[in-house]
Amino acid sequence: MAASEVQKVTLTSNEGSTIEVDRVVAERSMLIKNLIEDLGDDAIASSPIPIPNVNDPVLRKVVEWCEHHRNDAAQSADDDNDNRKKTTDIDEWDQKFMQVDQEMLFEIILAANYLDIKALLDVGCKTVANMIKGKSPEEIRKTFNITNDFTPEEEEQIRRENEWAEDR
Amino acid sequence: MPIAGLPGMPPQPTRDDIDTTWSYLQHGVTRIMMNLQEGIDLQTYMGIYTAVHNFCTSQKAASFTLTPQVIGASQRGAHLLGEDLYKKLSEYLCEHLKALVAESKAHADEALLAFYIREWQRYTDAAKYIHHLFRYLNRHWVRREIDEGKKDVYDVYTLHLVQWRDVLFAQVSAKVMDAVLKLVEKQRNGETIEHNQIKQVVDSFVSLGLDAGDSTKTTLEVYRFHFERPFLEATKVFYENESKQFVAENSVVEYMKKAEARLNEEEERVKLYLHPDIAIPLKKACNQVLIADHSTILRDEFQVLLDNDREEDMARMYSLLSRIPDGLDPLRTKFETHVRNAGLTAVAKVASDADKLEPKVYVDALLEIHTQYQGLVKRAFKDEPEFTRSLDNACREFVNRNDVCKSGSNKSPELLAKYTDVLLRKSSTGTEDAELEGTLIQIMTVFKYIEDKDVFQKFYSRMLARRLVHSNSSSDDAETSMISKLKEACGFEYTNKLQRMFQDMQISKDLNAGFREHVQALGTKGLDSAYSILGTGFWPLTAPGTNFNPPEEVAADCERFSRFYKNKHEGRKLTWLWQLCKGEVKANYVKNAKMPYTFQVSIYQMAILLLFNEKDKNTYDEIASTTQLNSEALDPSLGILLKAKVLNLDPGSGPKVGPGASFSLNYDFKNKKYRVNLNVGMKSETKQEEAETNKTIEEDRKLLLQSAIVRIMKARKRMKHQQLVSETINQIRARFVPKVSDIKKCIEILLDKEYLERLEDDDIGYLA
Repeated sequence: MAASEVQKVTLTSNEGSTIEVDRVVAERSMLIKNLIEDLGDDAIASSPIPIPNVNDPVLRKVVEWCEHHRNDAAQSADDDNDNRKKTTDIDEWDQKFMQVDQEMLFEIILAANYLDIKALLDVGCKTVANMIKGKSPEEIRKTFNITNDFTPEEEEQIRRENEWAEDR
Repeated sequence: MPIAGLPGMPPQPTRDDIDTTWSYLQHGVTRIMMNLQEGIDLQTYMGIYTAVHNFCTSQKAASFTLTPQVIGASQRGAHLLGEDLYKKLSEYLCEHLKALVAESKAHADEALLAFYIREWQRYTDAAKYIHHLFRYLNRHWVRREIDEGKKDVYDVYTLHLVQWRDVLFAQVSAKVMDAVLKLVEKQRNGETIEHNQIKQVVDSFVSLGLDAGDSTKTTLEVYRFHFERPFLEATKVFYENESKQFVAENSVVEYMKKAEARLNEEEERVKLYLHPDIAIPLKKACNQVLIADHSTILRDEFQVLLDNDREEDMARMYSLLSRIPDGLDPLRTKFETHVRNAGLTAVAKVASDADKLEPKVYVDALLEIHTQYQGLVKRAFKDEPEFTRSLDNACREFVNRNDVCKSGSNKSPELLAKYTDVLLRKSSTGTEDAELEGTLIQIMTVFKYIEDKDVFQKFYSRMLARRLVHSNSSSDDAETSMISKLKEACGFEYTNKLQRMFQDMQISKDLNAGFREHVQALGTKGLDSAYSILGTGFWPLTAPGTNFNPPEEVAADCERFSRFYKNKHEGRKLTWLWQLCKGEVKANYVKNAKMPYTFQVSIYQMAILLLFNEKDKNTYDEIASTTQLNSEALDPSLGILLKAKVLNLDPGSGPKVGPGASFSLNYDFKNKKYRVNLNVGMKSETKQEEAETNKTIEEDRKLLLQSAIVRIMKARKRMKHQQLVSETINQIRARFVPKVSDIKKCIEILLDKEYLERLEDDDIGYLA
């Protein structure tokens, strides 16, 4: 570890534009956290970290979320926080944050998955889950613009097999 | 955006093609595996991570179509990609490790050790990187497989360890271990070694202990089997050989030093570079070969060490043998025997003439042995309770059964009580209070071992009575201190009478003050007298064995006191213990005396002398009839007066004191001192008293036994004969060791007196 710890990190989006963020903010991503741990402070001080799978608007959005959550408890290696998993509650700020178009919402989810930001991934998935909740298959298809490619027989079989999950 | 990679790095792969993806990844993994020290740039790092991510999220997954079979087969939901990648990585590691195995064959011993450690370090460093880079695989595909219960899928880091263990470790661990053991042997032989190497090997072996059930946990199994087991084996062999040789060439004492040093060394070794888990088995192994295997010769040496007071060596032997199970028992037995013999020898040395044995000499002999070996127990045997018990057993033996006690076990308590009397009696050589207290504590040390505590009590109370009556006790504080010590050791009942005697003296003091006031008030001029009122039940005193007619002067005062006392306490009967009374008379008749002599005399002597106030010559018969004394009391009293030349035996009346003799006052009496003590106890008198005391002991014991039996039966109502006997022994043991035959006799007596009844089945019943 270098004598003085690097406090700022530069990220390069897919398009090549750069964003400078505080180290702690960037370290909400387990990918970046591990990278800094492996390569050392010197590596990130001299050059930006390429994020090849994320474009500029999404990266900025993700960084915005990380800024807001910079002081949250650090994500531990592989824990499954059951509470967080089971509830679909989303805090107010996150709800507002997720009020974006569907395209952006899915991009954020993909980016969170790629960058390994578990909390953000959870929030994204919960948002989608809330969009599905209480809707009929037809409504869901409409919401997400999905064409029904099941044959009626397939559909019947699936319904039968998933009967147990239906609200009665 | 195209990502620049390492030189020669293939281009970013198409996301769903395993071959191009792997060839890209392999390049990066190899770099990490082989040349990590040269570093990885950000592009490569992100490139590898992204390639893994992209492969796992490729279109195959997205375009997956549900088929009835898949749905029916499991609840797994979306299909996850990654198995191909995992397999490729696993194969890659296997190849890498095979190459290392081949390379390892070129090395042996320390070089092999260095090789192993170097490669292990490199491999695990790389594993951490690869674990991170393949994190996406870990998070999804691996996680899913493990959740579904697949046993042979591990997270990427663990996969590295598993492969190391299965491919490399299985082949080379034995050779590595050989190298380790050679290195340790070198160190045991005094060479300096690079012990950090061993520590690293240990750490590596420990890391490989993967829990089959849960890969996040480790077990010590691999380490125990491949490291601990051979290590312990080698240790045993090494020390077996070394100790055998050492013992053959050196003394046992030297061997103990060696063994101690070796044991400490091994303990240090654990701290220095072994796993703490080995501490206990290693200690056990060393204890076995270094101590247990040689315990016989060690124990044989113990007697020699005892005989020569080799305290330090005994301490060493103790600490060695204490490390093995039951190691100390034989030492304790030897110790006990030794102490007992030492005690017996010490007593034999002073007991050449048991009758003239000074109590102090005897008690000091006992104490010296006790002190010596108690010190040994403390310094060499760490005050271990079992050794203390052996010491106590030995002391009890030689205190109660030795040459002096041949005539009977009463001798020890008797002599101890006498010594106490010497200490507590007023003496010219005034001992310091602190010193006296110290000696009393020592007395109690011996007292603790005395079995016949009742005998001590008897003698003690007799001698206390004498000290109190003759007021020649050295100090009240010392007396109370001693009584409270006895009370602490034997309970209230034991010292009850002693305490009451003490109280009586206090009450008498007040009474005398009252009496003096009373006499002054009456205006009569009495004697300068002091009376002691002694409770009949508490004092071991009996009424005089002779009649006595006190001289008029004394009789008047006694009468006055009697009236005064009876007035105060109606109904009490006073018995005069004339034999204990004493007084002083002034001899105004002696010629050539600048100052009148004062004689300290017994009341019998006083009565005799006062007769000479009337006339200068008295016959034996005249004296006897006036004083009413019988010859047993009269003869010795006259004897002393003659011996001191206060009286002269008239010539012509024969050389013997007795009827027909006549006595005259010696006007030419001469003595260096003006106060002459004529009230000297006669040897025969004390002798007689001793015999009497001993006689009463037997009687008292019978009573003690009977009262114990009645107490037990009152509580139990009904009991088996045998049980009653053993219960009685238990109760009475604190006082003396009863004989079973005596107890049986006492039970018979109680049956006759109808306190008890015989019931069927050998039962005894209590009759209220």
